[in-house]
Amino acid sequence: MSMQVLKDVVEMNNIYLPHLVTIDEIIEEAPDVRSFKLVFQDPALRESFEFKTGQFALYSAFGLGESTFCIASSPTRKGYVECTFRRSGRVTGGLAQLSVGDTMGFRGPYGNYFPVDEWKGKNLVFIAGGIGLPPVRSVIWNVLDRREDFGNITIVYGAKTVADLVYKEELKGWDERGDVTLVQTVDPGGQTPDWKGKVGFVPTVLEEAAPAAENTVAVTCGPPIMIKFVLSTLGKLGFADQSVFTTLENKMKCGVGKCGRCNVGDVYVCKEGPVYTAAEIKRMYNDF
Amino acid sequence: MAEKILSKDGLTGLIASVTENGGRFIAPTIVARQIVFKKVAAASDIAGDYVLARNSFKEFLFPQTEVIAEFKLGKDKVEMSGVEPRTPYTVVFGARPCEAASLAGLRALFTWDFVDEFFTKRDEKTVVITVGCTRGDDSCFCTTVNLSPEATEGADVYMRETEDGGYSVSPLTDKGRKFVEAHELAFSSGAAKLKPLFSPEKIKEVDLKRISERLKDKSHYDDPVWAKLARKCIGCGACTFTCPTCRCFDITDEGTAFEGERRKNWDACQYDSFTLHASGHNPREHQYQRWRNRFMCKFNFYPEKFSSKGCVGCGRCIRVCPVRLDITDVMEEFSK
Repeated sequence: MSMQVLKDVVEMNNIYLPHLVTIDEIIEEAPDVRSFKLVFQDPALRESFEFKTGQFALYSAFGLGESTFCIASSPTRKGYVECTFRRSGRVTGGLAQLSVGDTMGFRGPYGNYFPVDEWKGKNLVFIAGGIGLPPVRSVIWNVLDRREDFGNITIVYGAKTVADLVYKEELKGWDERGDVTLVQTVDPGGQTPDWKGKVGFVPTVLEEAAPAAENTVAVTCGPPIMIKFVLSTLGKLGFADQSVFTTLENKMKCGVGKCGRCNVGDVYVCKEGPVYTAAEIKRMYNDF
Repeated sequence: MAEKILSKDGLTGLIASVTENGGRFIAPTIVARQIVFKKVAAASDIAGDYVLARNSFKEFLFPQTEVIAEFKLGKDKVEMSGVEPRTPYTVVFGARPCEAASLAGLRALFTWDFVDEFFTKRDEKTVVITVGCTRGDDSCFCTTVNLSPEATEGADVYMRETEDGGYSVSPLTDKGRKFVEAHELAFSSGAAKLKPLFSPEKIKEVDLKRISERLKDKSHYDDPVWAKLARKCIGCGACTFTCPTCRCFDITDEGTAFEGERRKNWDACQYDSFTLHASGHNPREHQYQRWRNRFMCKFNFYPEKFSSKGCVGCGRCIRVCPVRLDITDVMEEFSK
């Protein structure tokens, strides 16, 4: 490889070229799970960058490649973006080795988003499992930052064990707020002696919490098996399929509808998703 | 416009003229006893009397691997820059009508909302010369997908072989007309006796409309027939690499801790890692699901999403398949 071709000015519009971002803060969320707060190195972009809640991006560890995660911060918080990921493969392993001040790549935002503006005046229920909380967290902060626009807010969140719960500080904050109902749970066997939350799987705990379906929108994300049962529980609680939203986290490489792997049947998650209503999910080919 | 003729000598002149203008002349040539699309220097390099090349010419628009960006990791900063694709003036000579028809789908895909200029910049500088087929084999099925040796879709210039070893020339697009004008010394006027075309017989049991209807009915995803049809597939992915419409790719980094490059590489929906999630979950865990995806891509996604052909009937996937899994058998099954 020759470095002579390294050019400062890109003469073509290269849709695969990431922006450079600096890691401003790292938070250890859970074993092998961490959050990065990222700031664009280009000052103009730092000012102008916008996204909508639910959109995703591709994050690169140079020399190792790119990984896809949602943007976990809220668009109401300007000047930075946050992502939360679990160390599981080559790229996330590389990202996990980076420190504050290091540079990584950011390509996005891509995909559609949660129609938060259409939910004005409605009650909201958020249901997340494990590492499925990050995309939901973006919506949660988005609506909490304009709290007066919405009715009751309920959050049901569970993980395998107490240690696996992410955003522990924020959970504490949500729990202490008078205007949010937070129900936390861990899978049976995952509790600690001083655990004050519930013990049980998320769909079961959701059924016990039984949020009212009337004038309410539900947002859920978690492992595929959890989503499947949560959708069924929400149905039992009387939620209409078009009032239930989820985000699909399929494997992606390009993020822009070309590389061919994120499709669920004829639906390209990167372009037509990742946010779908339960009604849309039910119309898809069984390719999950 | 009067019919143009490209004689054998004219072809030599044409190659020289293209090469002198900094272009590359791609044509079917013999490599290790196989017909392969490759850069040629003289008319004598071009294979005659062949069915079609082992590879499709898509690799000259969408290379098997290409650098899309480069990066340098310094002590205090990282530099990353895009790479301009090398887009030489390219002439593809001897494309068959089937594979030329694949261009519509590739163009639709690479310009769908986000424009992949690695493809479009090459496409802009490529002239496709289709030569009508005078031979075919048992794997050809263009007529079954409504193409024929006379189909001109995707061709800038359409040619037919003449009995005296030359070609009759019909420029079809602006690009094709400009090409013929730019190299006019290579062409002569007149008429010549054409070699007869070879047209494969249509597979009567296949009904594309019926396939389309069957695939739109989502219940077929859970039909055990898929597991039965694709049982012998060993997941080698050869069908996808030789297919002129397949275009899936991966993006990977290569290099050292100090510098490297980001590449776009051909990939295949036939591999288990293609859709494997970080969690270990795989939406297409079984080979039959991956095979089903490819068939859906050809006969549902491309036609429905991009209004273009996902399968052009070139038969490469049939010829190259090590277990003789014949896509036309599956087309027959879904015509029922």
